[in-house]
Amino acid sequence: MKRSIYIMGSPKIFYFFGGALIVILSVFTFLFGCTKKEDVIKIGIAGPMSGDQAKMGLDFKNGVELALSEWNEKGGVLGKKIKMMVSDDQHDPKQAVSVANKMVNAGVVGVIGHFNSSCSIPASDVYYRARIPMITPASTNPQLTEKGYNNVFRVCGRDDQQGKVAAEFVINTLKIKKIAILHDKTTYGQGLAAEFKQSLGDKVEVLYYGGIIQGDKDFKAVLTAVKRKEPQLIYFGGIYPEAGLLVKQARELALKSPFMSGDGVIDPKFIEIAGPSAEGTYLTFSPDPMNIPTAKRFLENYNRLYGPHGPYSIYAYDATNILLTAIKEAGTTDGNKVSEKLHTLEFKGALGTIKFDKKGDVTVSPYVVWITKDGKFVEYK
Amino acid sequence: MLLQQIINGLTLGAVYALIALGYTMVYGILELINFAHGEIYMIGAYISIIVIGYLTAIGFTIDNPFISILIAMVVSMFFVSSYGFTMEKVAYKPLRNAPRLSPLISAIGVSIFLQNFVMLTQGATDKVFPGVFSIEGFNIFNARVTYLQVFIIAVSVLLMFCLHLFVTRTRIGKAMRATALDKRMASLVGINIDTVISITFIIGSALAAAAGVMVAMYYGLVNYFIGYVAGIKAFTAAVLGGIGSIPGAMLGGVILGLVESLCASYISSEYKDAFAFGLLIIILLLRPAGLLGRQVVEKA
Repeated sequence: MKRSIYIMGSPKIFYFFGGALIVILSVFTFLFGCTKKEDVIKIGIAGPMSGDQAKMGLDFKNGVELALSEWNEKGGVLGKKIKMMVSDDQHDPKQAVSVANKMVNAGVVGVIGHFNSSCSIPASDVYYRARIPMITPASTNPQLTEKGYNNVFRVCGRDDQQGKVAAEFVINTLKIKKIAILHDKTTYGQGLAAEFKQSLGDKVEVLYYGGIIQGDKDFKAVLTAVKRKEPQLIYFGGIYPEAGLLVKQARELALKSPFMSGDGVIDPKFIEIAGPSAEGTYLTFSPDPMNIPTAKRFLENYNRLYGPHGPYSIYAYDATNILLTAIKEAGTTDGNKVSEKLHTLEFKGALGTIKFDKKGDVTVSPYVVWITKDGKFVEYK
Repeated sequence: MLLQQIINGLTLGAVYALIALGYTMVYGILELINFAHGEIYMIGAYISIIVIGYLTAIGFTIDNPFISILIAMVVSMFFVSSYGFTMEKVAYKPLRNAPRLSPLISAIGVSIFLQNFVMLTQGATDKVFPGVFSIEGFNIFNARVTYLQVFIIAVSVLLMFCLHLFVTRTRIGKAMRATALDKRMASLVGINIDTVISITFIIGSALAAAAGVMVAMYYGLVNYFIGYVAGIKAFTAAVLGGIGSIPGAMLGGVILGLVESLCASYISSEYKDAFAFGLLIIILLLRPAGLLGRQVVEKA
C-alpha cells in the first residue's frame, strides 16, 4: 500500500493531476463535439455489418464509400463535403428500428439501406415519419414499396418479378413437373418462395412446402423428408449460408435433384460452403455487371480499391449516386423535396438508366437465370 | 426414412451429449451452470479450422486426411482445456464462497467476453472449413450414411466410454465423485478440491472441443456465435437427462437429437425446437430431477 503511494508521489498531487486531466479531457471532447458539427452532409448506411451476413454489409458499404469519395473529390454536394454514418442492424428487425432512430437523430439527410427486407420494412416507418428518403440496394420484398410511402425507393427488383422469372424458367426451359419448395421463414425468403409458388400455378405439382430456421446448421431431417417425395427440383427462398448447407447436406444424403434459388444466394461464400455440391445450382439475379457496358468504370475502380466486387456493391454505388444527384438537383436537403425529385429523376448510372415509378420501384427490372459452373456463377444461356 | 432420421438424429445427439457432459460435470461438482461452456465448444471449432487450414496449406491433409483430423482434434482439445482451466481460475474460483448468483453472472460475462474476443480476432464473418473431406458414404437399406457420420458417432462413443472408465476406475475419478457428493467432507478426508475442480473443467472443455472439431467438419461452417445455440441445446440435454448425472447427459443428448430429427421430418421442421423444449417441460413436470437424476434433498 505504502509503496504504491511512493510511486505515484503524494496522493494530493495525484488527485490534483487526476482532476486536471478530467477537466482537460472534458474540454477537449466539448471542442471536438463542436468541430464535428461543421458543415457536412451526412448520409446514413444501414445493413448487416457483423454476423453471418457481414460480407454482404461490407460489399455494400464499400460501394457507398466509392461513390462518396468520387463526389467529395469533385467538391461534395451543395458546396458541402459528404460524410457517411455506418450503422449495423445485425439483420435484426429490432436493431434496424433502433439504428434508424439513431441516424434520424444524428441528422442524416438520406439513407442507403437496409439490406434485408425484414429490416427495411420496419425501418421505413421511422424514415417516413422523419421524411428522410431511403433507397435500398437489396431489399426485394414487394411489401416495402406497397405501403404508399413517398420516401421509399429501391434500385433492385422485386420478389414477385423474381419469382415469376424463376417459375417461367422451371416450366418452359427445364420442363419440370414435380417440385419441393423450402424457405427460411424470413420476410425475404418466405416472400420469394410464396411468389414462386404462386407463379407456378397448376402447371407444376408442389410436393413439399416448408420452412427451415435461419441460423440452423442441420437440415438433414427436413431433406430426408424431401428426398422421399422424389422432387425433380428443390427451390429455396433464403440467403447463402443456409443455401450452402442445404445443398451440401442434400448431396450427403444422395439427394441428387438440382437446386434453384434467388439473389440472396449469389455470393462466393455459397460455393465455398457447398464445395463441389454447388455445381448446377440455378439462381435468379440481375444480369452480370461484367456484361453491362456502363458498369466498366465502376468495376475497375472498385476492384482496384477493395478487391472483387460483391453482388450488391454496384447497387449501393448507384443508389448513393442517385440520392446525391437528387439532392443536387433539388438544391436542398429537405427530405420531401429530395423524395419528389427522386420520383422524376431519370438517372444514368453504372447499371444503366434507372427511373422510379410511383411506388418507388425501378421501372425496368431485368432478372435473368444464372447457374453455378466450375465453381463460378455464370449467366445461363 | 425412419432409419435415415435415426442416423441423422444420432449424429446430432452424439454432439449434444459431448457438450452436455461438460455442463453436467461442472454442475455436479460446483452447482454452477457454466454458461461459457458453449463458447468453449466454439473455440474448439475455430482452432480446428486454423490447424486444418495450416495442414492443408503445407499439403499434408490431402495425403493423410484422417491423421490431420486427429492432429486437429488433439491440438484443439489441448488448447481448449487450457481455456477451460484459466476460465475457472479467473472467473469462478475467486467467487467460490460468494452467493450463488455471482458465479452465474460471472459465467455470462465470460461467455460474452469469449464471443467478442473471437469475433475481434477471427472476424465477424463465417469461416468455412477447408473442404478436404468428401461427402462419400454408403447405403444401409434405404438410408444414406456418410463416413463422417460414422466417425462422429464412433469418436463420441469412444470418448464417453473413456470418461466412464476414468470416473469409475481411477483415483481421481473417485475423488471427483466424492467431491460431487459432499465438498466439505471430501476436503476433510484429504482430497484437494481445487485440483478436482480444475480437472473437471479440463475434461469438460476437452470433450466440448472434440464436439466443436467434429461439428466444424460435419457442417463446414463456423462463426463466433455457434456456441450460443449449441450451449442452450446441450444444457437442455443435460437437464433432460438429470443435471449432475454423467450417463444422464449422454442419454439426454441422444434423446434431444432424435426428437429434433423425427419432429423435423414427421411434424414440422419449423417447430422442431419447440418440440424439443416442450419435451423438456413435460419431463421436468413428471420427473423434476430429469430422467436419470437422483432425487436429493436440497442441501442446507
